[in-house]
Amino acid sequence: MTKYIVKRVLLSLVTLWLLVTIVFLMSWALPSDPARAILGPFADEKLVEDFRETFGLNDGFLEQYFRLLKGLVTFDFGLSYGTKQPVWDVLAPTLWRTAKLATLAMIITTPISIFAGLIAAKFRDRRLDRGIVLTGLATSSIPEFVTGTLLAVVFGVKLGWFKAVAIIPEGTPPLEQLNYLFLPAMALAIVYFGYIARMMRAGTIQAMDSDYTRTAAMKGLSSSQVMRKHVLRNAMAPTITVMSVQIGYLVSGIVGVEVVFNYPGFSQALLIAVKQKDLPVLQVAVIISALVYMVATLTADLIIAWLNPRIRLEMGN
Amino acid sequence: MELEDVNAETAIEPALQSSSMMIDAAPNVLKQSLAERKQARKERWRLLRRRPGFIIGAVIVLFWAFCAAFAQYVVPYNPFDDRDKRHMPPSADHWFGTDQTGRDIFSRVLTGARDILLVAPIAAVLAVIMGTLLGMIMGYFRGWTDNILSRFVEAFLALPVVLVGLYVLTLASQSDFLQTISFNSRNILVIYVVAVLFTPIVARTVRAAVQGERDLDYVVSARLRGESSLFIMTREIFPNVTGPIIVELTVRIGYAIFTVATLSFLGVGIQPPSPDWGLTISDERAVLAAGIWWPVTFNALAIITLVVAVNLIADSIQAVYQK
Repeated sequence: MTKYIVKRVLLSLVTLWLLVTIVFLMSWALPSDPARAILGPFADEKLVEDFRETFGLNDGFLEQYFRLLKGLVTFDFGLSYGTKQPVWDVLAPTLWRTAKLATLAMIITTPISIFAGLIAAKFRDRRLDRGIVLTGLATSSIPEFVTGTLLAVVFGVKLGWFKAVAIIPEGTPPLEQLNYLFLPAMALAIVYFGYIARMMRAGTIQAMDSDYTRTAAMKGLSSSQVMRKHVLRNAMAPTITVMSVQIGYLVSGIVGVEVVFNYPGFSQALLIAVKQKDLPVLQVAVIISALVYMVATLTADLIIAWLNPRIRLEMGN
Repeated sequence: MELEDVNAETAIEPALQSSSMMIDAAPNVLKQSLAERKQARKERWRLLRRRPGFIIGAVIVLFWAFCAAFAQYVVPYNPFDDRDKRHMPPSADHWFGTDQTGRDIFSRVLTGARDILLVAPIAAVLAVIMGTLLGMIMGYFRGWTDNILSRFVEAFLALPVVLVGLYVLTLASQSDFLQTISFNSRNILVIYVVAVLFTPIVARTVRAAVQGERDLDYVVSARLRGESSLFIMTREIFPNVTGPIIVELTVRIGYAIFTVATLSFLGVGIQPPSPDWGLTISDERAVLAAGIWWPVTFNALAIITLVVAVNLIADSIQAVYQK
């Protein structure tokens, strides 16, 4: 197992290095002059030169590249063009708010989706199954910001059950915060429902059709024992993979939802950065979300290996 | 937001099955297999027409395609004309109400199909072309070529499409270089960005399909005949992996619509004064809290009908190819 973990972590580090390099190369492949773009065409040459000096834009290709790589270790990613604060200080406070929303969304969607997938598999090809599959297909193909907008219209504005604007006043007790966070979390949960439920259904059907399940049933185990010990355990593996991928994409999808509900997370920093052409903030945001994705998928792979000794042994060699 | 792993694996099967029909590439067998392929195509089309999901999806997509092409000639009002009556609720005169500058929302929703139905499918087609080339090379040559390219594909897959879109489109908007090579239209830029970001995903699917083919007898015998790698890839392997590629194309079109709509909503995609749906939702969401629900709702419904329809088609095509 240790050998497997080491191997996977090393491979992930190679991928991380490559993707940071790709992101860095993008800014060189599309040569731009941020100093001019931000200060305007009529700005004093001296001002432009100062700007380039402050943000290290006069440094060479390799110097800037190694500075970015070093930042991955020290979390010193230089200064934001907009606020002149360190990039990490701009992003960090918004990140944990986004994490809070993402966690709530996963807590809502995971049990419901897994249950729906199980039910669909149990009633395979019957009307209930068709309904769940079709609902999943529809909800997962709609962009998160659209789902969020409709939820805000119906439950926020028309019915007034929840807050349509997710700006939480200072000092709101945690339970009352749910009132603000519920609709944005639901918007994400609805989109991810489809992926997880469909995967759970497929995994369960495969496990139910397999020889080991038939053997277990024939040797006289009760159906709940067969379900728990043989079907569920095996059906979880693909579901965990899909969920980990979803956590990665959650970072992307959450941007639209946060904007719809004016939630002061990650996306607010991003939209300001787009407006101010604040490339360092955008660059680091891309790298951080890629990192989240990689950590999530790596963790999922390790959990699956731990669940299934066959994979564990195969991968070790 | 993707299900790539599932697609990649399930997509190989049909290719595997169809290729086993071809034992040798001798002319008479080739002719026979061409007839068989035509037969298989007919059969798939028959199965497809019997799926209600496909029919419903196709009708909706055709409706929006018609709107994209002709809506500007048939809508009751000019979608760009400002009027005094701002934010009027839906009425007999304005079925979907009016927006913040008094423009007729019904007319704007119908003409709003145009930009996204140009940008997203073109981006998806470009991504599939580039991804197929890359995937064929990776799958066919294996070894170091594949190893190195695979690492790059993996790195690209970890990049969140919407965030990279924000980054690259912001970068590009201030790049003199791009202005000089006539990237003056934002739509063209969005097409290129989405196409490049989708290419690695397509490449991975095609690579898996090619790997399923390359050791089969017909490829080995072509190699023994002394055919060039280019010939084997384009004439021997390619016809046998069209199934996964077609499935990939329909799935990609769905994701491209999803991505372009989100980028437009975030302000870096399709630009005003286009009546684009994502753009309109972004413009009108501020008045939602004041109870003005109609501008965002009808545009949201437009996006939903289009993406769900495209995904119904993609799902049906995938199911038919896997039979």
